[in-house]
Amino acid sequence: MPELIRVGRDEDRDTYHLNMGPQHPSTHGVLRLRLHLKGEVILSADPIVGYSHRAHEKMAENRNYIQFLPNTSRMDYLSGMIYNVGYCQAIEKIIGLEVPERAEYIRVICCELNRISSHLLWYGTLLMDLGGFTPFLYCFEDRERILDILDLVSGSRLTYCYGRFGGVTEDVDDKFLSETLAFCKHLRNRLPEYDDLVTNNVIFQNRCKGIGHIDKKTCHEFAVTGPCQRAAGEKRDVRRDEPYGIYDRFDFKVPTRTGGDCFDRFMVRVEEISESLSIVEQAISKLPVGPVMAPKVPRKIAPAKGEYYFAVESARGHFGMYIVSNGTEIPERMHFRTPSFSNLATMRRVLKGSTISDTVAILGSIDIVLPEIDR
Amino acid sequence: MEMISDVYRGFRSLLKGMGVTIRHFFRKPVTVEYPRERAVVSKVQRNAIVLIEKDDIGSHNCIACLQCEKICPSNCISITGSRKDGLAFKRPDTFDLNFALCSECGLCLDVCPTDTLGYSKQYDKAGYSREDFFYDLLDQWKATEETALGTLREIERKKKEEREARRKADAEAKAKAKENDDGDEKA
Ligand code: SF4
Ligand code: SF4
Repeated sequence: MPELIRVGRDEDRDTYHLNMGPQHPSTHGVLRLRLHLKGEVILSADPIVGYSHRAHEKMAENRNYIQFLPNTSRMDYLSGMIYNVGYCQAIEKIIGLEVPERAEYIRVICCELNRISSHLLWYGTLLMDLGGFTPFLYCFEDRERILDILDLVSGSRLTYCYGRFGGVTEDVDDKFLSETLAFCKHLRNRLPEYDDLVTNNVIFQNRCKGIGHIDKKTCHEFAVTGPCQRAAGEKRDVRRDEPYGIYDRFDFKVPTRTGGDCFDRFMVRVEEISESLSIVEQAISKLPVGPVMAPKVPRKIAPAKGEYYFAVESARGHFGMYIVSNGTEIPERMHFRTPSFSNLATMRRVLKGSTISDTVAILGSIDIVLPEIDR
Repeated sequence: MEMISDVYRGFRSLLKGMGVTIRHFFRKPVTVEYPRERAVVSKVQRNAIVLIEKDDIGSHNCIACLQCEKICPSNCISITGSRKDGLAFKRPDTFDLNFALCSECGLCLDVCPTDTLGYSKQYDKAGYSREDFFYDLLDQWKATEETALGTLREIERKKKEEREARRKADAEAKAKAKENDDGDEKA
């Protein structure tokens, strides 16, 4: 256990401790990094989390399964739709509830849009951390369109509570579909522009290439998932490996890279944006007609006694829900395995030996969301 | 030599990037000048809940069943209701919403048996104190409450009459059937 409060210069006057955060703009929330430095080189780094702990898991033990719905999207507020829908899918699987086809397709469309919006926000903030303000504005402009589109059906812009056990709250209309298709086209035209502005930019490449290596071994040891793992060369994606919902019906690639550095993680996410776009387009072209809510949803949700685990692929990786039921309407225990937590844990190893300015790029590239780590 | 090509590549990528930003100069602005222009909000935009009008009553149709109060995860609804003369169901006396706590989850709308809850259309409420977000949902219906009660009583009376009439008709039909049976037996 490191001492927590020691900051400033050490006795030998050669090394010193520095707190980065918790209120640091580039830590994407309230993360505190306690750095032990020699000059600008990091000797050791301790990520200290827990500043936005809201006890979501404890809250789950004091309310029934339905009442927990609004909590889900507040864990990871950037991919709230995926969490919300994932939780619904978990409970549906546990109690054996059939979801109408149309609702399944709508869920996929909304989740993938949400994934794109999350990646766009990450894109913008990473670039802002590296000192480029313009791409941030462009990404937010595009992201804004997604938020507006999701607002059309879910009624919220960020913390969605759109999924229900057995379906979704609202049916999509023609306006939603046409705007989504228009957006897909727009973003496809936009991506080459981003490449011109950012990806091919020499300064950007020099800042990202060759730093923050997370290799396969580290991935295994720390249970790193999501784009960080794929950038290290592991072809893992819950949507592909254990398809939930109707993901087995779509044709999409799982982008991978081999280097595992910041630039590879960047490229994986950029490719994921276009894969998600293609999933959205496929889903819209196949969208069946019908109801969006199961006809018979039990009023009382009381899963049989036992332990359950269900996982979905969030924008940041493997999001798992571990639910212990004691046969009543109130869960005995709910635990969430959130991807950023494991991804951040690698920082102790990865940051060693790098410099402060690289820290900003590395932290940005693993795409952490602090409320999801602290829950 | 390598350095020169590096510089060349760097310059080219920079100019390319600048080309993108310059093109953006001539695009239409994407922002909305808020107080002067107002954004078009979605039809299903979630907001503070309100009691919505039911056409046949001319007022809300809350029966103070407290279902919404029970399901609300944030405990932000509190209702008291009482039985009014000539009505089959209760009617709320107070209906308070603490909007500061509301998470806009929409669960209360789902459980309402009379579908009388909806979302308000006003999306830009602001306030200086917590009390500014304590809403009395019955406020907007106070003026018409008496007439609504009258209508409800009328509806209730009609329903009762219908029920009576149906019972009478049933009884008559039964009696007739019996007579027929009797007749059949005799013949
Ligand atoms: S929307 Fe949700 S939080 Fe708000 S009053 Fe209804 S049930 Fe409560
Ligand atoms: S659920 Fe509907 S009818 Fe029942 S108390 Fe609430 S608003 Fe009134």
